[in-house]
Amino acid sequence: MSGRSLDYATEAFDFIDGLDHLATPEDVVDAVAKSFTLFGFENFIITGLPNPKERFEHVVLLKKWPKGWYDIYAKEDYVRSDPIIRLCRTTAQPFEWSEAPYNRDTEPKAAEIMDRATDFRMKQGFCLPIHGINGYEACFSMSGIDLDLSPRTKPALHLMAMYAFERARQLLKPRPYVGSGLLTPREREALVWAAAGKSAADTGEILGITERTVTAHIVSACQKLEAVNKTQAVARALQYKLIGL
Amino acid sequence: MTQIHVITAENQHSYKESLEEYFRLRHNVFVDERGWRNLHQPDGREVDAYDNQNAVYLLAIDQDRVVGGQRLYPTLLPHMLSEVFGHMAQRGLPRAHTIYEWTRYFVVKERRMGRTDCRLLAAIQQFCLEEGVTELTAVVEMWWLPRWQQVGFQVRPLGLPTIIEGQPCIAASIKISQESLDQVRGLAGLRNFSLVRHEDVSPILDRVPHVAA
Repeated sequence: MSGRSLDYATEAFDFIDGLDHLATPEDVVDAVAKSFTLFGFENFIITGLPNPKERFEHVVLLKKWPKGWYDIYAKEDYVRSDPIIRLCRTTAQPFEWSEAPYNRDTEPKAAEIMDRATDFRMKQGFCLPIHGINGYEACFSMSGIDLDLSPRTKPALHLMAMYAFERARQLLKPRPYVGSGLLTPREREALVWAAAGKSAADTGEILGITERTVTAHIVSACQKLEAVNKTQAVARALQYKLIGL
Repeated sequence: MTQIHVITAENQHSYKESLEEYFRLRHNVFVDERGWRNLHQPDGREVDAYDNQNAVYLLAIDQDRVVGGQRLYPTLLPHMLSEVFGHMAQRGLPRAHTIYEWTRYFVVKERRMGRTDCRLLAAIQQFCLEEGVTELTAVVEMWWLPRWQQVGFQVRPLGLPTIIEGQPCIAASIKISQESLDQVRGLAGLRNFSLVRHEDVSPILDRVPHVAA
């Protein structure tokens, strides 16, 4: 038994050390595919979690997904209803797909996603959520038919997935402010001052514009962010890194 | 404005109140919030065997209020990773004059969305560069790794993740480098960033370590 777990450790450290020598994102895909096959994985995706205005296809970093499934997933906008993606937003711990809750009766789309995935040999899965500084969110989700998931293999997979994600992120250098074009400079400014505790009147004074104009900028930002009020708009703008503090 | 203060045995008399607040905040964060029950102290101050004359603290202080902190300790002395978590470093435990253990890092709850994290992380790199410390070792929850990597820290795992208090944790080594400092400063827009240090604090590598009580 200890011999097996030692093998997983060696595999994990060799994999991590090898990542430094990979020059392109495609090399990372190949390296992940080769090593993760040992645990039964056939498919995987490394992707950012899109904000309400971003398209799924624009936040994907790396993938080895069946072509048919990717097309369906993008066309049906499954990312908005996927219980795996939903759980990623609220936990930092890796989880098995079967641990992601959804209600078959009230969430038919979630059920449809999980059912249709099995048509593409994505029956079982393991997912690592990534939570960075300033609300950056991503995940590494992997799947197959017959997975070797146990208390002995999971720590190795956890570590390997985290380093593979980082290598992919480095090689792809995603834009630091995803979707920053969503808000105008004035809307962002109004939210930054709101985040600093200023009222619309205070902000108007600071920016040299009327309180009414400030309110108009905030209302517009709320609409774009699908926020019900200023507080939620500020929270979302921070989460999507549209503003900083 | 939040500044990072360097506190050692030599100048802690000037920081009595801040250190007292720091120990209470450690209890709030690590015992009450994260649930590390074995650190519980009846007086609400989380103080351990490594809070002695060899410890160096970098505290984030905003107008006399402590909003975050971290501790450094020489690895040549018995330290947490050598005494308690040795089994987590299957690939070997780095110990040297220029390697320090990094523990008890936290930011108070209401400052976790802001730049306090980046200030503390920039401070640790800058302090170590100035002092000639080359490497840090630490035991942390796994969710720290992508955060460190995002701010440009070079992190090498010393072993596989192990569950501690229900959380996957890892022993890791962090390389000290100018590139890492530049990246974290750039990410947080920390221009003209500097540490607050008293003149009477001597270089830490020149100090003779005292064996921990």
